[in-house]
Amino acid sequence: MFGAIIRQAFATMWLHRRWAALTMFGIVWGTASVVLLVGWGVGVHRMVDRGLQKIGKNLVYVLPGRVGEDLSPADERRTVTFKLEDVAAVRMSTRRAEVVSSELLQWAYVRGAASGRNVDVRGVEPTMQALRGATLADGRFISPEDVRFRRRVAVIGQTARERLLGPRPAIGARVSVNGESFVIVGLLERVGTQLSRNRTETDEQIWIPITTAMTITGREHVDALLTRPTERRLNDDLKREVRAILARRLHVSPTDEEAVFIISLVDILSGFDSVFAGLKVFLIALAVGTLLIGGIGVMNMMLVSVSERRREIGLRLAVGARRGHVVGQFLIETLVITSVGGFTGLALGLGACIGLGRLPSDVLPVPVIVPSVVVMAVAVTTLVGVLSGSGPAWRAARVDPAESLRAD
Amino acid sequence: MSPVIKLTGVTKLYDMGEAPVRALNGIDLEIARGEYVGVMGPSGSGKTTLMDVLGCLSRPTTGTYEFGGQRVDQLDEAGLAQLRGERIGFVFQAFNLLPRLSAVENVELPLLYRRVPRAGRRRRALELLDRVGLSARARHRPAELSGGERQRVAIARALVNQPAVVLADEPTGALDTATGDAIMDLIESLNHEGHTVVVVTHDPRIGDRVTRQVRLRDGVVESDVTRTAKR
Repeated sequence: MFGAIIRQAFATMWLHRRWAALTMFGIVWGTASVVLLVGWGVGVHRMVDRGLQKIGKNLVYVLPGRVGEDLSPADERRTVTFKLEDVAAVRMSTRRAEVVSSELLQWAYVRGAASGRNVDVRGVEPTMQALRGATLADGRFISPEDVRFRRRVAVIGQTARERLLGPRPAIGARVSVNGESFVIVGLLERVGTQLSRNRTETDEQIWIPITTAMTITGREHVDALLTRPTERRLNDDLKREVRAILARRLHVSPTDEEAVFIISLVDILSGFDSVFAGLKVFLIALAVGTLLIGGIGVMNMMLVSVSERRREIGLRLAVGARRGHVVGQFLIETLVITSVGGFTGLALGLGACIGLGRLPSDVLPVPVIVPSVVVMAVAVTTLVGVLSGSGPAWRAARVDPAESLRAD
Repeated sequence: MSPVIKLTGVTKLYDMGEAPVRALNGIDLEIARGEYVGVMGPSGSGKTTLMDVLGCLSRPTTGTYEFGGQRVDQLDEAGLAQLRGERIGFVFQAFNLLPRLSAVENVELPLLYRRVPRAGRRRRALELLDRVGLSARARHRPAELSGGERQRVAIARALVNQPAVVLADEPTGALDTATGDAIMDLIESLNHEGHTVVVVTHDPRIGDRVTRQVRLRDGVVESDVTRTAKR
């Protein structure tokens, strides 16, 4: 009985094949586009996420500023500075921070074996490797001893190496930074294009021990404190905590966001999250609309099919079918027709996701298969099938067998 | 012997806008098991409406209808469907075969709604096609069959549930005389095998063959004549 209904569904489609093709096109298009577009949206989101996180996962930049206007008259707005001891204090007393490092930024003239040029030279602590998620292509990172003894050692990014040393091996090479000689002890793995950066990309930088950087520049303060929460959701707690620790030490208000200025990657990412969530809702609404329009087409086709098959309905009633059987038959037929469209669309959408997913995901945003959207597409298609089938089925159930059996 | 069909004071009104049409105007009719009845009458006499009521395709407006001792006018929708499917076999003027199904599948159709397993359906349907002489055409679709063959398929379908009554509505109306006679021979042979047969027709040639003639006029029974079988 089930097989017969399904065969009848295909027969109906074949009978109205042009119409069926047109209406099913809407359903195919709706399903395929929602799977592909939402997949693409998620792909773009992932790319943005990954690109942003390249500067360092969930990185929190803490910068010294000026005491806020509301606390003191504008003419005596005190400049706040971070000392190494302040950074150490944060490291000692924080519970939310996974890792902490100071940073000193300095444009310096660097001469290597191949050429000389201005390079973004940064003073960092050993913890910076973890903060930046930096992996070494060769050599070692800056060690605690390097920091303690203010060693003249450097870790170099790939682009900086190419510019300064050319094809020569990096490890053991000497460069001069503002006339001071440094030995390169580590070569960073290439990071690639970053969507977030501070002044320059990691690949262009040279990192030296923070203490050494302070010595050669003659500065007593660091430019920034970098940290990250142990978990993404603790971002706000961490910011509050760091602010509180620094406020006590620097004699500023813990609510003074100008004195201690914080830029958090998590905050930026959550901004994108809501943008993409909105986009997703929009795309899904669009696809559901397309599916509904397709459903109306199917409904019309089934209504015509009911009129054409009044005699068949009457006969089925005469040979023992209950109205429920007739309703079920037309519902299932409609479901079969919409499912054919839905699954074709699903196959196309998934196929496109898989095909385009082979493209390099660094350069292009590639669509990904989003299981929840696939489930949703199937559910909505089924719902559309039930909705567009219920009208015709209801009409079929109202067929008067006596009258329909004699209609010519 | 208790009658298989018993109508008492049956009326049927059709609501046609302003003035209701009284298609049946108080019919009393009993049909006993094994009878061969022809319901005759000019068009507009109510014989089609009577056929619908007898076949449980529509309900009487007033009056009672007992089928095999059961009050039909009090049955619900599902009960009527069951009665139609299991106790009544229909033969129509226009055959009413489903064009997409083969002959044997058409015959199986009533069994489908009784949840008879596939193998049993097929066996029973083939038996009946054999009975009407169409074994060789079982896989053909209606479009590939002649009018007489189609009506034979329809008769096989009517018999598939071993109904208490076979209702035939102008069974020869769409056939030429020779084919119609052959179909009537077949229907008559069903009666000889013990089936209760009710034929609704305006064809006097059929009227001559039946053993009991019920004539309708203006929704009432005008005459009811039982004859001894000719043969």
